[in-house]
Amino acid sequence: MLRFQSFGLVLVTVLAAVSTTLVLLQPVEPQDGLQYWTFDRSHAQVASAAAANWNPRHPDLPVRVTTLTGPTLLTRMLSGFYSDTPVGDMIEVERGQIGQVFAGPVQDIGFVDLTDRIDRDGLRAAINAPSLSPWSLHGRNYGLPHDVHPTMLLYRSDLVEAAGIDVRQIETWDDYFRVMRPLFRDHDGDGRPDTYLLNTSPTNMGAHEVMLLQAGGGMFDAAGQPVLNSEINVRTVARMVVWMAGPNRMTADAPVSGPSAIKLAGEGYMLAFLAPDWFAGAIKKELPNLAGKLKFMPLPAWERGGRRTSVLGGTMVGITKACRQPDEAWAFIKHLYFAPETARRLYATFCIVSPIKSNWSLACYDEPDPYFSGQPVGRLFLNLAGDVPERIPSPFYASATTVLSAAIVGSCRHVDRHGITDPAAVEPEVRRRLDAAQAELLGIMQRNVFVAGRAP
Amino acid sequence: MLRRLANVLLYGLLIFFAVLTLVPFAYMVCGALKSKYDFAASLFLPAGGGWLGVGWDRLTLANFARLFTELGLPRALHNSILLASVSSILTVLCCAMGGYALAKHRFRGRDTVMGVVLSALIIPGPLLLAPSFQLLYNLDLLDTYTGLILPGLAPAFGVFLFRQAMLNSVPDELLEAARMDGAGEIRIFFELVLPLVRPMLGAFLMISFMGTWNNFISPQIILQSPELHPLSVALNNLKGLYGTDYGVIMAGTIVSIAPVMCLFLLLQKEFISGLTSGAVKG
Repeated sequence: MLRFQSFGLVLVTVLAAVSTTLVLLQPVEPQDGLQYWTFDRSHAQVASAAAANWNPRHPDLPVRVTTLTGPTLLTRMLSGFYSDTPVGDMIEVERGQIGQVFAGPVQDIGFVDLTDRIDRDGLRAAINAPSLSPWSLHGRNYGLPHDVHPTMLLYRSDLVEAAGIDVRQIETWDDYFRVMRPLFRDHDGDGRPDTYLLNTSPTNMGAHEVMLLQAGGGMFDAAGQPVLNSEINVRTVARMVVWMAGPNRMTADAPVSGPSAIKLAGEGYMLAFLAPDWFAGAIKKELPNLAGKLKFMPLPAWERGGRRTSVLGGTMVGITKACRQPDEAWAFIKHLYFAPETARRLYATFCIVSPIKSNWSLACYDEPDPYFSGQPVGRLFLNLAGDVPERIPSPFYASATTVLSAAIVGSCRHVDRHGITDPAAVEPEVRRRLDAAQAELLGIMQRNVFVAGRAP
Repeated sequence: MLRRLANVLLYGLLIFFAVLTLVPFAYMVCGALKSKYDFAASLFLPAGGGWLGVGWDRLTLANFARLFTELGLPRALHNSILLASVSSILTVLCCAMGGYALAKHRFRGRDTVMGVVLSALIIPGPLLLAPSFQLLYNLDLLDTYTGLILPGLAPAFGVFLFRQAMLNSVPDELLEAARMDGAGEIRIFFELVLPLVRPMLGAFLMISFMGTWNNFISPQIILQSPELHPLSVALNNLKGLYGTDYGVIMAGTIVSIAPVMCLFLLLQKEFISGLTSGAVKG
């Protein structure tokens, strides 16, 4: 019969037969035990190492680690929460996704409330306090923090020192832009600057959030109500937009979460970055040729004596309500997140510092890092860990980000159009736009019956 | 003379656009052969003191080695070959059978079935993701190859395509003659009908093989265990939260497109004749 058939059909049939045999011969890992879902391979490696240590002692309930990409994990997690489809027993959730977990009535949140367990085991004092905030709603904790992610300023020390600039004279953002101004220049005479002073731009919402939080502003208050048009936000945005637009523009776009930051740092196009601890790990891996040319300093404050750090990103692990052995899952996540070995591994791989205070005395944090000109990077970040601003989670985080971004882009356009250089001159326009953003966000929130108090 | 000039201009333009099309491939190949240091430092080949100003000695196969030793890509490659080959063969057979039945057999409800097939053509795939997931969950087929292969066995497009091919290429007289000679329906289908639509078989086989090979959403949603993931998903998992090794991703992309490219080169004659069959009235 084969002689009548298409060559392609015969070829693909042979492929199917061979591949089926090969795949059938491969062992498939059993799906019993506790399922641990994460969205990143490096997180999975750390969890797998902890599971390898855990499983021999718990042969009847081993931990199986699964890596799913971020969007897939979110979709399957929410499907599991809403419709009882299969879901992991323990799930790691990224900061940008946690808001969706908290949408709807509190009793329907898919994660187990860990508040009593945390208090019963005396863990509250052991965890860096602000690091619990993104995973808590109405005073209840739904996850253990994986990290702190304090943010510092990472700058090209080779360029700064060659220009004879002493960064010790920088205390505020105004100092920073004044002192660094000579480095903002057009090296090749083509009429365009070749070095920008900071990686923030009208559309870089990550950077905006870092700066608003540092200033004491943010998107939501402790009750979960939007505060986009708060006075501190208005003042901060007004100061930011004159750096990002108009005749005095000195910043450019290079979000640290994308490849452009790495590329632009390597080219010397960007003098400094708002850099959380994980960015230190990323740049070290990606740009080995910049060894000895970078240094960290605390973020310049908005006012003298003000906060010198902020926060960007974050991950938690929670136990799902579908988990049939929550006590064992709780024991495993404590084993994973509290272990000094986990802290050591996270720091060695990505320069991520632990939110567990007992791990802060690990020697690895004090080791001078030759890549960062001999600075003990771990210790520098840990010195700021307690001062990291608290973050309030909200199901409307994505909507708030969108309307706030539109307000900032609009304000920048206004600055461009009118050639404004003085923050005070742009404040009325910023206030008007943030008022509109606040009204829009409130409108969006009112559509949610649970927020508006119209729940059936 | 003018015609010659026009031809030169035309070919010049074609060559220019062909080269332009190849630029991303060149970037991918160069990226796969560079170290991390060189990936960020140079756009294509690493600069150096060698011939044409290229640092030839800095080219490396380390990214490929990592793929096959540390990152478990061989298993994903097996999975992709299995899924694409099994699924495309079954799809081709099911669509050919469906198309043959609708084109050459008279039965009650045929027009209704044809109407359903035509209606199904306008339903976007993503719309079916949620109900398919629910159905597979109820059938206990999540996290299985069957759950991934079964829903795509008889796509409306394929059934319709084969129906049209059967109408054009399989004469009723031939079928009647075969029946009179005592051939059964199965024998007629495999020994008479399929060889007559061979170009369409090759073309549709290629289309469905590539479709399954490149499918990303369904395996992501349906397959849970990493050891079942095909290349498309495994490659995406190489992206990191804190940083991405682009050299490894480029190497992985080459590994993922190479088998399909080889298959296309082997089957291109059938593919093209399948696409053009019926284009000219004979």
